[in-house]
Parts: sequence; C-alpha cells; structure tokens
Amino acid sequence: MTTETDKDRTSEREAALIARLIAAGYGRAEPAILQPASVFLDLSGEDIRGRIYLTGDASGAEYCLRPEYTIPVCRDYLASAQAGQAAAFSYLGPVFRYRSNGPAEFNQAGLESFGRADREAADAEIFTLAVEAAHELGAGPLKVQIGDTGLFTRFLAMLDLPPVWLRRIRRGHARGQSLDLMFKPPENGNGGDHSGVLAALEGTDKTGARALVEDLLSIAGISSVSGRSAGEIAERFLEQASLKAGGAIAAEKRSLIERYLAIEGNPDAASGKLRALAADAKLDLADVLDAFDARLGFIAARGFDVSELDFSARFGRNLDYYTGFVFEAHDPARAIRPIIGGGRYDGLLRTLGATQDIPAVGAAIWCDRMGASA
Amino acid sequence: MSDTVKNPLVIAVPSKGRLQENTAAFFARAGLTVAQGRGARDYRGTIKEMPGVEIAFLSASEIVSQLAAGNVHMGVTGEDLVRETVADADARMELLQPLGFGHANVVVAVPQAWIDVKTMADLEDVAASYRARRGERMRVATKYIHLTQRYFAQTGVTDYRIVESLGATEGAPAAGQAELIVDITTTGATLRANALKILDDGVMLESQANLVASVKADWNENTRKLARSLLARIAAEEDARTSREVRARIPYSADMYAEKAQELFKARAIFGTGSDVVTLVCPVERTPALADWLIMQGAKHVTVSALDYVFSAVNPLYEKLAKRIG
Repeated sequence: MTTETDKDRTSEREAALIARLIAAGYGRAEPAILQPASVFLDLSGEDIRGRIYLTGDASGAEYCLRPEYTIPVCRDYLASAQAGQAAAFSYLGPVFRYRSNGPAEFNQAGLESFGRADREAADAEIFTLAVEAAHELGAGPLKVQIGDTGLFTRFLAMLDLPPVWLRRIRRGHARGQSLDLMFKPPENGNGGDHSGVLAALEGTDKTGARALVEDLLSIAGISSVSGRSAGEIAERFLEQASLKAGGAIAAEKRSLIERYLAIEGNPDAASGKLRALAADAKLDLADVLDAFDARLGFIAARGFDVSELDFSARFGRNLDYYTGFVFEAHDPARAIRPIIGGGRYDGLLRTLGATQDIPAVGAAIWCDRMGASA
Repeated sequence: MSDTVKNPLVIAVPSKGRLQENTAAFFARAGLTVAQGRGARDYRGTIKEMPGVEIAFLSASEIVSQLAAGNVHMGVTGEDLVRETVADADARMELLQPLGFGHANVVVAVPQAWIDVKTMADLEDVAASYRARRGERMRVATKYIHLTQRYFAQTGVTDYRIVESLGATEGAPAAGQAELIVDITTTGATLRANALKILDDGVMLESQANLVASVKADWNENTRKLARSLLARIAAEEDARTSREVRARIPYSADMYAEKAQELFKARAIFGTGSDVVTLVCPVERTPALADWLIMQGAKHVTVSALDYVFSAVNPLYEKLAKRIG
C-alpha cells in the first residue's frame, strides 16, 4: 500500500499546478470534450483534419474531441454572461490529437486571459505563470523563445507594400520560410502566358480592368462566374501587372525587411536594434516598441531575468491568429517539441462571434512532455 | 488437402460492373477462370485451375480496407482508393502490377472563368487573398479528402476547407456549394460540361486498377506457394503478351549478334547461342526492327511467332511480394 505509481505522482503534480493557477485568479474552466468540428477546421485549416478525432450525430452535424483548450474556453466565455468583460481561466484535462509517437489522449494545462486593456501586464502575467506552472510539473531549466507578431505587422504596414507582397511575406513569416523563398517573384500562369493581358492592363483602373475581364469571359463564351467575381479576377490581374511593372519588391524595402528579421538575441539589446532600425528608416514604431519594452519590464518585475529570454524577429508561431507577443519554452535536455506555447490573439474572439475585438492572451502546457525523466 | 481448405489464398475482386468484367478478363488471359459460386449473388468463388485459392467478391472500397487489415492476401482495386483510404498504404500493402484498366486521374479543377488561375501556385495566391478578403476559406468539394490534404500541403495551398461530396462533385461549384473541386476524370468531358478546367499541375494521381498484395496478411508456407504459382502464371502471360519469339540462323557465331540484339532491341537470347540458330524474345514493338537487323547481319530467314507463356525461374512479381513479406 506504500507504493505510489508514476500515475499518482503525475496526478499530484497536476493537482498542485491547477491549484496554483486557481489561486492566481484563474478560475478553472471545464469546456465540453465534444466540440463542433467546423470551428477548428475553419481556424486551423484542413491539415488539422488528419490529426483530430471526428465524429457525427444522427442530424449530420460534425463533431470532434477537443484537440486543444483555447477555442473551447473562448466559446464558453462568449456564451456566458461575462462575455466582453475581463475574465481569466485556467484548465487541465485531456485533449485528443493523433500523434505518430505517443498516445492520442494526453493532458494539457493552461490559462487564458480575456478583456484586459493593460495588454503588456497581462502578457507578462500569462507568460510567467505558465513558466512557473511548468516547473511545478517538474520541468527542468527551460530555453525560452519570444517574438512579437504585432511588431512585425506594424513594421510591414509602415513599409506600404503592395497587398500581394504583404500577403506573401506574412504567410512566409508564419511558416518560417527562408528569405529567398519569401522574396521569390510570384509564379503564375507559366510566366509569359498572361503578358498580353497584363500589358493591356498597365495603368488601367479597376473599372477598366473589370470591363476587360468581363469582355474576355464573354468572348470565351464563359457565362457563369462562380466563386469569384469578375472584379476579383480583374484586381488580381492588376496586382500582377503592377508587380510586373515594378519588378521584384523594391530593393531598399527588401533590405529593411532582411535587417528586421535578422534581429535576435537578448531582448533588451534587440529592442535597441529595433529602435535604431526604425530611426534609420524613418518608420514610426514608437508605440509598439514602447509596448515591447513595457512588457519586458513587467516580466522582470515578476522576478524573471529578461536577459535569459531569447528574442527572434523571425519567430512567429505557426498559427496565424497570433497578433502580438508570442512565446515557446523548450526543455533543452528533452524533445524538440515545446512544452509551453502561447501568445496574444486579439482577433480570435471576434472570429468566434464577438461583436468586436477582445484582448486575449493565453498559454498551453503539454503535461506529458516533462517530469517523467526527473 | 486440409491445408488448402484451412489456409486458402484469398483474393478480393470487385463484385460488380466493368471492374469485375475486366478483372475476370485479366485472370482469363493468364489462363485462370474465376468461378463465382452458384450465382451472381454468391460472394465467394474459386479459381478453377488453382485449388486452394478463394475469391472474395467485395465492393471496391471494402477491398482496400480488407487488404489494409490483412484479411485478404491480394486484391484488385484502384490506386486512387488505396491512396485515399489508407494513410500508410505503402507500409501495409504492395502495388504488384498496374492492370491497364480502370484508368482515372484525380485532378484539381477550378471554374473556367478563373482565367487568371492556371497552376497550384496561382491557386495558393488566390486562396490566400480570398480568405483575407472574405474571412472565409475557399471550399473544395471532394470525396478524396486525404489525397486533397496531402497534395495541397505539398503544393503549399493552406487556405481552404474541404466540403465532403459523395456524388456529382462536378456540380458543386455551379450549385454554390464549393469554389473548386478535386475529382476523378477520364476524358475531362464532364468537367468541361460543368465549365471547369484542370490546373496545369493539377493532376494529383494517375490511377488505374492494380493487383495489390497485403503485407499484413497471413503469409504461411501454403499461401506463399499459391501466391508464387499464381503470380508466375500472371507474369508468364504478361511477358508472352508483350513479346515475340524471333528465330534466325546466322552464319558463323550467333554469340556476338545475340549480345548486340540485347543492346539494340532488348531482345533476350533465352536459350543461349550454342548453335548458329538464335532464338530471341523481343518486345513486340521492336520486333520488326530486330528482324531487319538480323537480315542485315546475314540471316536468310527470320521467323516471328506469338507466345502463350514465358515462365521464368525468376518471377519479378513474386520477388516484389517476397521482398515485403520477408
């Protein structure tokens, strides 16, 4: 009767973890295990379909076993009387995801903070609580990487890039593509194929381009335009025409982006480099950089050595809903997969049905990626 | 006797339609008669010439799942179904031989009106801007969910949603249920009739019926023996059908000519070159050229005849299977 199994020890540690989060003011959320599948597919894309456990009911509705907690916690919050107000939640329980090595059902813990206007303080609180909680679970020294998606978005907006380039760079950044791949001229229609149309469109306005596309379609005898309007097709031709006329992305803008993305290392030093870059390029990034510094200040105030964090301008977590601070923590002695991942996602609640953006930041902890080795 | 009853080699074949007819014809060419129990509704059968082989008549999709589970040893089914139904198909089964029927391409097709979209790279760009503009993902109607996921991931297209479609997929864009489709096509006529076009690099898979072996089935001494002899017949017929026997008498040594014939025409001197009469087995399409060449080398006559079977000690089909089942 004296033997304590590994499982008992794990449960004890997890119980201590959730107690700590609750004590910190994060009431425990208990969202349903069975969730509507379409929300996850809409937000994460089809590639998650192969990793979630789908099921249906007699009415034909498609459900899945929750693959993570953030979206279920958000949905419950929006459905509650608290929707739109400041609220903070913690969670602990099983999530279900196909993994080629490891069981499909495993515990995840985490916390979410909604509706706080003091974003940088909330970022720091979530981040530090998550790291402390991981230690509670038995994590050793962690290697922490931080980034700032909001800063990058603002930087790109200031560069006034053509929309097509903006899209490509944002997507490339989110996927961790190399710079060369990101800046590769867009492939389309086998190179010269559309050059006649593009030449005809040079200098044309939207109305003219639309009329041309409509004429082309009617000459070709295509009457039904499904999915995309003639206007959308015309606009894409215009974008391509402008890209063709302007060649690749302007060299000075490209070199600014390269310089930005090369910044990494000690966060305070990085902040200095970012300010120098903004000054050289005459870009007004003052408020986002002030926020960056303020966040570091709040993290330091909670007893963390900021110089141990590893900032990288290239670091963008691969879910494209992050809008600000992002972070991941790894156990350097163990797997490559992070044991903590989180960040700010101010747009998600609106996507899920809120009438306006609601500030939101959270972190997830993979309970099964630590402890056991201790 | 009891061995073969207890341990039959089970081959799953399509239970209806053109696929069933073509499969029966395929076995018939190899001199194997597929006999279906007492009537068209019996789901078990035999091969007359090979006691110990059991035929299971199943639906096309069931054949794949039975192969994956290892409940049948071999089966005849389309590669599209294999790739769609089983995520780790290559680990569970071996495609032994394409059979030359049941051709169908799995393709990505978009409305013809999308005159700016010709490639998957275009589609990726359009899908991203569609989502940025409308806050929704472009919808792809298909029954090939896994093939679509894999191909779109390979080509970098991420901003889309799959709408499962179990019939008349080509009508989905016109009906407003999806923006584009992934479907099978043989001639493309149905797609054109629905004002759709295939992207230049939109052919995801060129599928046809295949003889497929299950890696996980019960491969014991008896089933291996049966498989070897079955595949020997199939390989012998295949080799014979695609080859001609070419005989000629060449003065002096046939030796060097045989070597040259192998190099120039892929013709094999299967009975050696001991006499000055050389017997070659040559791919059908190169036979006339080989005959011309032999005459130029001094042969007075060249005879060419069709073959019924070419049985060989080395059976490439069985080798392929043996490699997988150890």
